[in-house]
Amino acid sequence: MRAKTLNNTAEKRPESLWEKLALDGMVMRLRTLEIYSGALTWNRFFGSLLLALLVLLFLSGAFMAFYYSPAPGYAYDSVDYALFSLPFGDAIKGIHHYGWNLFLIVMGLHLARGFIVGAYKPPRQFVWVSGVLILLIVPAFIITGDLLPWDQKGYWSTQVRISIMKSVPWVGDIMVQLVQGGPMTGIVALTRFYVLHIIFLPCLLVLLLGIHFHFIWQRGLCGLISEDNSSKITVRFFPFIFNRWLVLFLCVTLVLGFISWYWPAPLGDPADPTDSTFVPKPEWWVLFLNQLVSIFRGPWSVFGSVIIPGGLTALLIAVPFIDSSSERHPARRKITLIIATIIAMVLLTLSIIGYLEHHV
Amino acid sequence: MRKQKKTSLVMFLVLAFGIVFMMNSHEVIGASKQTLSAAKVKKAPAGLNDPAWKKAKVADVHFEGKESFAGKNALVATKAVYTDQEIYFLFSWKDANKSVTKGAWAYDGQKWQHQKGNEDRISLLFEINRINNFATKGCAITCHVPDGAPNAKEGKFGTATAAEKGDLWHWKAARSDPAGFADDTWLTNTSEEKGGRKSDAGKGGDTRNMTGDKSMPKYMLAPGKMLAKNGILLASDAVEIKDYSAFKAGDTLTYRMPKNPEGSRADIKAQSNYANGSWTVMLSRNLDTGHDDDVAFNPRKKYNFAMALFDDSGDENSYDSEVVTLQFKR
Repeated sequence: MRAKTLNNTAEKRPESLWEKLALDGMVMRLRTLEIYSGALTWNRFFGSLLLALLVLLFLSGAFMAFYYSPAPGYAYDSVDYALFSLPFGDAIKGIHHYGWNLFLIVMGLHLARGFIVGAYKPPRQFVWVSGVLILLIVPAFIITGDLLPWDQKGYWSTQVRISIMKSVPWVGDIMVQLVQGGPMTGIVALTRFYVLHIIFLPCLLVLLLGIHFHFIWQRGLCGLISEDNSSKITVRFFPFIFNRWLVLFLCVTLVLGFISWYWPAPLGDPADPTDSTFVPKPEWWVLFLNQLVSIFRGPWSVFGSVIIPGGLTALLIAVPFIDSSSERHPARRKITLIIATIIAMVLLTLSIIGYLEHHV
Repeated sequence: MRKQKKTSLVMFLVLAFGIVFMMNSHEVIGASKQTLSAAKVKKAPAGLNDPAWKKAKVADVHFEGKESFAGKNALVATKAVYTDQEIYFLFSWKDANKSVTKGAWAYDGQKWQHQKGNEDRISLLFEINRINNFATKGCAITCHVPDGAPNAKEGKFGTATAAEKGDLWHWKAARSDPAGFADDTWLTNTSEEKGGRKSDAGKGGDTRNMTGDKSMPKYMLAPGKMLAKNGILLASDAVEIKDYSAFKAGDTLTYRMPKNPEGSRADIKAQSNYANGSWTVMLSRNLDTGHDDDVAFNPRKKYNFAMALFDDSGDENSYDSEVVTLQFKR
């Protein structure tokens, strides 16, 4: 039977390019794919925006990699050259820099919206879990990417992160040895950060994205809380939704391009490992973590650096399994929302205190 | 439906706030370093009191005395503006005495002698190519090799490798200012034998006004010419002295005669004024001269520079500044 099928395929001469590439089946499925018309509208676009930002981050990162030299003596100059000497180099570096900032913001909003509308409710628990895992991988991108320009901010921020990593009981030293490759942050560390940033983490991200899309495909998009007729209208994915996404992609590219042109991405002074007077200030997304580390000192430091952040992460992943009822309406999930709001307010307060302490 | 629109509006507002917050993140976060902001002006300042300077924010740069000035401090009020073509710096600092002597000749009726006294100067050092750790350590990384080092005398000015190049602007009250310029030089690596301080391509600097036996001046002001600023004789206005008997006691003559610079050495124009116990100096240069021995300013970039102040002193005694970041405002 199998042999017959193969023979039949061989007898039929492929005509279109898709057939020649044996992709005709997949293309047909995409062309006929019908999805909820509200999947990408002006009031529901965070997921699509994240995808657009991700594509931009990949493209801009790939362009910068052409000119980057991962060695302490040359890394800074290669970034400086790409930023200021190449045509549109500042726009591309800016898109990469502002892109990840915006990615984190939109990711937070995407998650918050999903939480409020109960998008993690059965049967979409693993859509949520895979989404949270994607969120957790973003800081790894930022941390590894920060060191690459080999400027003062990146170098000394890495020193702070390494010291926090070192404070983790039992595994701290091994982790530091693994990422740093030696007692100092030098060429080995830079090479490892570079490889992590451009190979391992992107592969992991693509894998997680694949899992995320797999669950969305299988479990469907989360509809409106109040189901009405409009929520049941479906449209073809291709070209309707795809074209909407292209418009969004174009808009975000133009906005980020304009921001990058007007405010070129920052590049500080070249790293000077002998200059211990440089005190890096925590960036906005890490202010609350920094405050936790400041609050818990000495023997308690493990609470600020590991136990509380780890607990919060575990809680975030476990949300669909803790709040497992099928009720999605926020008004009927008051306890869950009150607890989440309290946690969010505490984290926001810590961030504000951190901002006032370090930036004002 | 109305509820949905409200939710969407809130989401848009949060996103807009996020974008504004994100744009604020374009500044490098870290320890603060003094910054000099160059203001963009449509019309270049014509002089020291041009209204264009009102647009520039002053940076009071602190200088610390070295060698014989150790323990003393100085403050230089610094401003910068730029046009599409040029950049302008304005420096102002207190100095109880105007020093422009630079060993000028004095005739006592019988013989010529050098007068005691040096000159006032200010110098700026930029990076042409990155000088390792200049951004954090400034001139200390380039100019000051340790005492007793084999090249301590010759190699006092220079960088560690040939790839590291500095652009040294050197305004001298007696030797460059009267010609209307600051001396344009550059730094390269020092060696066991030689220092790394080089003159830019072209002509310039000054020439010593003395006879072969170094006992008296060789040149005087040419007929029909006038002494330049501060009573300095320019090399271009000098003529060989034929009759020394024409001089009477108390007459003075410039010893170090500034030459009119040419080529890349003539890139930095200068104007100055000394009044009420203060020097005010304006330096200007094309943003990009097109010369390899000059830093090319790109207004989108930030530049580190450090300065040194010389109060009637030689190279060994100076006031040095910390590194200052020059940024171009739109």
